[in-house]
Amino acid sequence: MASPLEQFVNNVRTHSSSGNFRELCEMIGKSEEVLQRNSAHLNTVLETLDIQQHSLGVLAVLVAKFSLPQGNPDVDRTMMFQQIHDFINNCNGEQVRFSPELYADLCHLLTDHLVELKQPIRGIEILKKAIRKIQLFDSQLTSIHADLCQLCLLSKCMKPALEFLDTDVTSIGTELGGSNDSKHFLLYYYYGGMIYTAMKNYDRALYFFEVVVTVPAMVVSHIMLEAYKKYILVSLILHGKIQPVPKYTSQVVCRFLKPLSVAYHELATSQHAAMRHREIFVRDKNMGLVNQVLSSMYKKNIQRLTKTFLTLSLSDVASRVQLSGPAQAESYILNMIEEGEIYAMINQKDGMVVFLDSPEKYASPETLCVLEQQMASCTKLHQYIQEMDEQIQVNPLYVKKSIGSHDEDIPATSQNSKNTYSM
Amino acid sequence: MITNFDKLCAELEKQELEAPNGVASISTYAQLLAIYLYQNDLCNAKFLWKRIPQNITSSNPEIMAIWAVGQKLWKKDLAATYHALAAYTWTEPVANIIRALEEKVRERAFNLIGRSYSSISLDTIVLMTGLSREAILQICRERKWDIQGDGVTISPTPPSQPAPLHTSSEDQLFKLTEFVSFLEN
Repeated sequence: MASPLEQFVNNVRTHSSSGNFRELCEMIGKSEEVLQRNSAHLNTVLETLDIQQHSLGVLAVLVAKFSLPQGNPDVDRTMMFQQIHDFINNCNGEQVRFSPELYADLCHLLTDHLVELKQPIRGIEILKKAIRKIQLFDSQLTSIHADLCQLCLLSKCMKPALEFLDTDVTSIGTELGGSNDSKHFLLYYYYGGMIYTAMKNYDRALYFFEVVVTVPAMVVSHIMLEAYKKYILVSLILHGKIQPVPKYTSQVVCRFLKPLSVAYHELATSQHAAMRHREIFVRDKNMGLVNQVLSSMYKKNIQRLTKTFLTLSLSDVASRVQLSGPAQAESYILNMIEEGEIYAMINQKDGMVVFLDSPEKYASPETLCVLEQQMASCTKLHQYIQEMDEQIQVNPLYVKKSIGSHDEDIPATSQNSKNTYSM
Repeated sequence: MITNFDKLCAELEKQELEAPNGVASISTYAQLLAIYLYQNDLCNAKFLWKRIPQNITSSNPEIMAIWAVGQKLWKKDLAATYHALAAYTWTEPVANIIRALEEKVRERAFNLIGRSYSSISLDTIVLMTGLSREAILQICRERKWDIQGDGVTISPTPPSQPAPLHTSSEDQLFKLTEFVSFLEN
């Protein structure tokens, strides 16, 4: 075994046994090159280290091994899945938390590998475990979340991702936050939005796409652009019109995204746009959603009728909404009643439909229950905001800055006070 | 005969995720697909159908038959759903789920009729529930739906709401205390 490698192994051993994980991390950061250069001996190194005791060392070796270029003869990728699987199952969570970047890198490598193999479904269970292991609490977002969502989308097996997506994020892992690349953050919300769209949970999907679009930015990311296109489509399906993006959206986003998605904006104003820009929609792989927008237009039109009329014959409904006949109108209305989108009674004998008001009187125990839940979540939100506020107030940078600006303020105020004196 | 499908569903999902090479057994796929339909979780059913490897779907008529039912449910074509359900002789363990599915679809259809129609022809009910005229007339009497003089027009009444759930007063008091203490602070 080459000597720098031996040194590496010795370092890992001594630091791990004495618990100097922070120093170990620094050492690992410097030895990346050594590991890569000695790729032939990495398997031997692995054998000398114990997954549980020397988690950080093993992690570094695994990442080094699998980030070697594809053609390298020293890397046997057939064992890759098994090795990473064993590592994530057995590693020491507290140790790897000292180096979340490396841990996330390993998960990214596994994801890329499975995508290449076209067996994304195998990674879902293991990435779920990986996330749970590195998280400090449930609502912490890590960059592995995006990998999980990607595998779920590729394998068309969305359900496992929902438990993560349904938890609102209250904190961001260190490897994802700060000045690091925002790619995985954007991807998580973009993929998450796509999963919700596939599950027809449009409300939540719209929120996810909104998060992508409103990330503070100096330049426009391609992920943002695609998210914005889907934001428009989902908004059309859900509300029948394009919801304006929130005011805190970065200016650069507003300036660049709109001209790049003209076809989508036209869809809101004319139904013929779907035909005219067909090529664009197909190229963006959004044709399915565009079709859903078109069919939701009928529903929106029927909903509009309920605002104007109390009773209407089925054939009138058909002609006003441009459906082919009373039978089609009846089936549309029936479906909408089932989905709870309108309240109506069909009288088949007379061929009439009576539009009703919502039967909800807001006096039931269910309403109370909903109210209580909403209040509880508001209280919770208030708590979070207070906590964050306290954190910011003790942040050295913030304190320094606020004092600094205070200094500038003082002469101004003293001048003012002088003025008042002189007057 | 109805077992706890939710639990079975979770188990099957786990089996699929842990399957070596990502391909689960035929029976896992078939049961899971049927359970998704039973739960009216059509999105997940659709994606399950899409992710089952093609060589399994094309060689297994039962899975194809289950998805034929799923397609009809997706299109909300109730009449065709009953046809598809009757068109295949199901084998256990899928047969058990399918029976429950058929009952549930029918129950939903009756509830929907009650909610959406003030008058409806007997023939439409036959289409929507896949039952014979006699059976429907019997159920209408049970549900106290009026059968009009001509014998083919029925006036359904909306299904009664389930009894409101009672929460204990202690629980209420606890929540109220919490809320007030939040406002005070």
